[in-house]
Amino acid sequence: MSNVLKCEHLRVVFGGLAAVSDFNIEVNENEIVGLIGPNGAGKTTVFNLLTGVYVPTSGVITLCEKDLAGMSTVARNHEGIARTFQNIRLFKDMSVIDNVTNSFNTRMKYSMAEAFLRLPRYWREEKAAKKRALDLLHVFNMERYAEEKAGNLPYGSQRRLEIIRALATNPKLLLLDEPAAGMNPAETENLMETIGKIRDQFHISILLIEHDMSLVMGICEKITVLNFGEVIAQGTPEEIQKNPVVIEAYLGKKRD
Amino acid sequence: MTFSLLIAQLINGLQTGSVYALVALGYSMVYGIIKLLNFAHGDIIMVGAYMVYYAIASFALPPVVAIALAVLVSTLLGVFVEKVAYTPLRSAPRLSLLITAIGVSFLLENGAQLVFGADQKSMDPMITGSIMLGQINVSYVAIVTIVVSVAIMILLSFVVNKTKAGKAMRAVSEDMGAAQLMGISLNRTISMTFAIGSALAGVGSVLYLCAYTQASPTMGSMLGIKAFVAAVLGGIGSIPGAMIGGFTIGVLEALVAAIGFSMWKDAAVFLVLIIVLLFKPTGFLGKKIQEKV
Amino acid sequence: MRKFKLKTPVRYLINTVLIAILWTVITLVISGAGLKGEYYRGILITIGINIILATSLNVVCGYLGQLPLGHAGFMAVGAYAGAIFMKSTPAAQLLRAGNNAAVIPYIIIAVIISALVAGLFGLLIGIPALRLKGDYLAIITLGFGEIIRVVLTNIDSVLGFKFTYGASGLARIPKFTSLNVIFIFTVICLFLIHVFMKSRHRRAVLSIRDNEIAAESVGINTTFYKTAAFVFSAMLAGIAGCLYAGYIGSLYPSTFKFMKSIEILVMVVLGGMGSMLGSVISAIVLTALPEMLRSFSDYRMVAYSLALVLMMLFRPKGLMGTYDFSMGNTIENIVNRIRKGKVKTEKKTEEAKA
Repeated sequence: MSNVLKCEHLRVVFGGLAAVSDFNIEVNENEIVGLIGPNGAGKTTVFNLLTGVYVPTSGVITLCEKDLAGMSTVARNHEGIARTFQNIRLFKDMSVIDNVTNSFNTRMKYSMAEAFLRLPRYWREEKAAKKRALDLLHVFNMERYAEEKAGNLPYGSQRRLEIIRALATNPKLLLLDEPAAGMNPAETENLMETIGKIRDQFHISILLIEHDMSLVMGICEKITVLNFGEVIAQGTPEEIQKNPVVIEAYLGKKRD
Repeated sequence: MTFSLLIAQLINGLQTGSVYALVALGYSMVYGIIKLLNFAHGDIIMVGAYMVYYAIASFALPPVVAIALAVLVSTLLGVFVEKVAYTPLRSAPRLSLLITAIGVSFLLENGAQLVFGADQKSMDPMITGSIMLGQINVSYVAIVTIVVSVAIMILLSFVVNKTKAGKAMRAVSEDMGAAQLMGISLNRTISMTFAIGSALAGVGSVLYLCAYTQASPTMGSMLGIKAFVAAVLGGIGSIPGAMIGGFTIGVLEALVAAIGFSMWKDAAVFLVLIIVLLFKPTGFLGKKIQEKV
Repeated sequence: MRKFKLKTPVRYLINTVLIAILWTVITLVISGAGLKGEYYRGILITIGINIILATSLNVVCGYLGQLPLGHAGFMAVGAYAGAIFMKSTPAAQLLRAGNNAAVIPYIIIAVIISALVAGLFGLLIGIPALRLKGDYLAIITLGFGEIIRVVLTNIDSVLGFKFTYGASGLARIPKFTSLNVIFIFTVICLFLIHVFMKSRHRRAVLSIRDNEIAAESVGINTTFYKTAAFVFSAMLAGIAGCLYAGYIGSLYPSTFKFMKSIEILVMVVLGGMGSMLGSVISAIVLTALPEMLRSFSDYRMVAYSLALVLMMLFRPKGLMGTYDFSMGNTIENIVNRIRKGKVKTEKKTEEAKA
């Protein structure tokens, strides 16, 4: 099994403070990996490093054996990294379907001139894009919302739409930043199914940040634990659950 | 250009620069607290200048009274505008607020044209005479202007950094919501900011009249824009920044004029602004704000 | 029941017919108005120019969500480019001889030149300026606009030859902007904006407005789109400038002060940012209003500014919000509503029978 994502000795320093230091991870094809840790451990910072929002002070990120150094967020998305955000960042004033079709932008080929002159390729591609967006929405039972304004959707659907929007860019690796935040147990259950479905149906790897342990332990094959910007443990859910260092990081040191 | 001429021009520049700096402070403070580019600020100076003109030229009041009147009217006008035009829009889109400010600015300009007449009003200089410092002839006006503005800026730094009201202002500009939760009255703090900013504009108008001895309905618009440029150049929200920005622009204008390009001085000001913003988008002393992802 | 939908060619046909009707009405009214017709013609031409200016600024301001304050600069560049070109052609003689048809190719070339020159300036200014956001973008574009004006005023003294004629003005420009010309170019400009906003590029531009970071994360090349929208908007402003030059006949740099940019911005915000219809309506109202208030001469500008403040206080989202008008959609809605009504009444009668 070849790895999709590989980070080696990733480190980033903000104003003299190392937010992430010596971060290593491997995500294999078709794998769901969890990234956990207490608040402020640097999990989202890792996502920002992977997507090129921040530039690492040192270290290497490779996607399918390709070095991503120096690439912008946009270029990394074209390479195959898509993400969701901790605080939902939808295109609120656009319709649900436009939120999705927007992701096809770079794979649609008609030019400005073709758009101005309304040449056949414009019609063909627009029609195909609409159909694909509806298909994607259908997979997640969101078809009925297609013409709604994204900002008017209920919270859970907004989170789901953000995932659909990321998937629509046809990624190899999907980064989910606290997908279950603010959801009740039933919704979380539902989300777990969805995430499994995404992996099976789209054949992609998923790296997710989550605080909900039932979700993490339930669907992740591997887990990496961060604390104060450093990896303190890596392994299967069972190993992590038993790891005393992890327990200490979450619950504090046992007093004798 | 001889050395003494250069120094004379520099002092000229510092004089104009001090007026810019005083006005820039008003922009900077208001921008810092409600993120509004208060277009009407320049026109408040215009109203202040008319007050001085009428007090001295028409009613022959002593200069001290005229100055007090200008500051008082400017302050009241600034707070009035804030209460009537800006407070109701606090939760509206920021652009609507900006357009309102533009509207108020138009209104003040056109209102002044109606009330005071469209022509320029000229008056006798309030401060005359000069002093020879070595080879250089320095007018008293220049000295008074520079000293007054520097003194005011030091005083303002003290108010903002040390007093309770100043702390409230900084808290509101940092985080409006959190400041309110800490029991700071938003309305009072914002009005206070406008009052201080407008009072400074009042002082600015007096100093402006000392230098140029003319008032016209449209005098505020370009002066306002230049002062805002000064505020941005120095780093918006920063008191020493506004001062540095104001002096930079004043000196720059004086130097450009000194080498015979006075027609180009507006372009020079904006060119410097553009270059600075491109290399240091927050100005000389501005804080860097990174959006949290 | 299937919803009633208009086919795209039908929509185009409807709009073309409506535009033709509008043109006929305007022409008939103007020619029927006799002496006053000249006065109305002038207002209508100004309205057309302002519509192009407002809707073009709306592309950057409303759709892209940026705040540029240098639109008058692009208008100025376009105006001078078009005017200098037209002066070098025999257009003036042709117009004097009444040979209007022969001027058409020159007009087309002038408009294209204006658009290209303004677009070039848009590119030169946009690339550095668009790295900044919000009020910083506003102030930097304001700066560029002012620089353009100062350069237009003083360039002759530096270059040593007659080019813009500085503050004394570029005069005797062939007056080629007839009502027909302005009508056609207004329609073309509106159509160009419309088709731009009905493509994948629209989604990209709107997504940048809504959330730039998210737009980048789904692979939208934000730099490209911001620059493209900015240049497009500048080009249209250039066209407006060119038509303005051909209407007014003489150009002065002082016309293009930053207050002119503000005036255009006011039209956009008042109409509702992101609403093309709003921009059109407020361009019409804000051009006609000062004219109608002419009898109050002294109070006219006071009333105008007061109206502006009151409008913002009571309708901060602008006249139209982000609502955009589409004749096709309106017809669809009406037909669908009527059908629904019919179905309901049929149901009711059936229920009543049962």
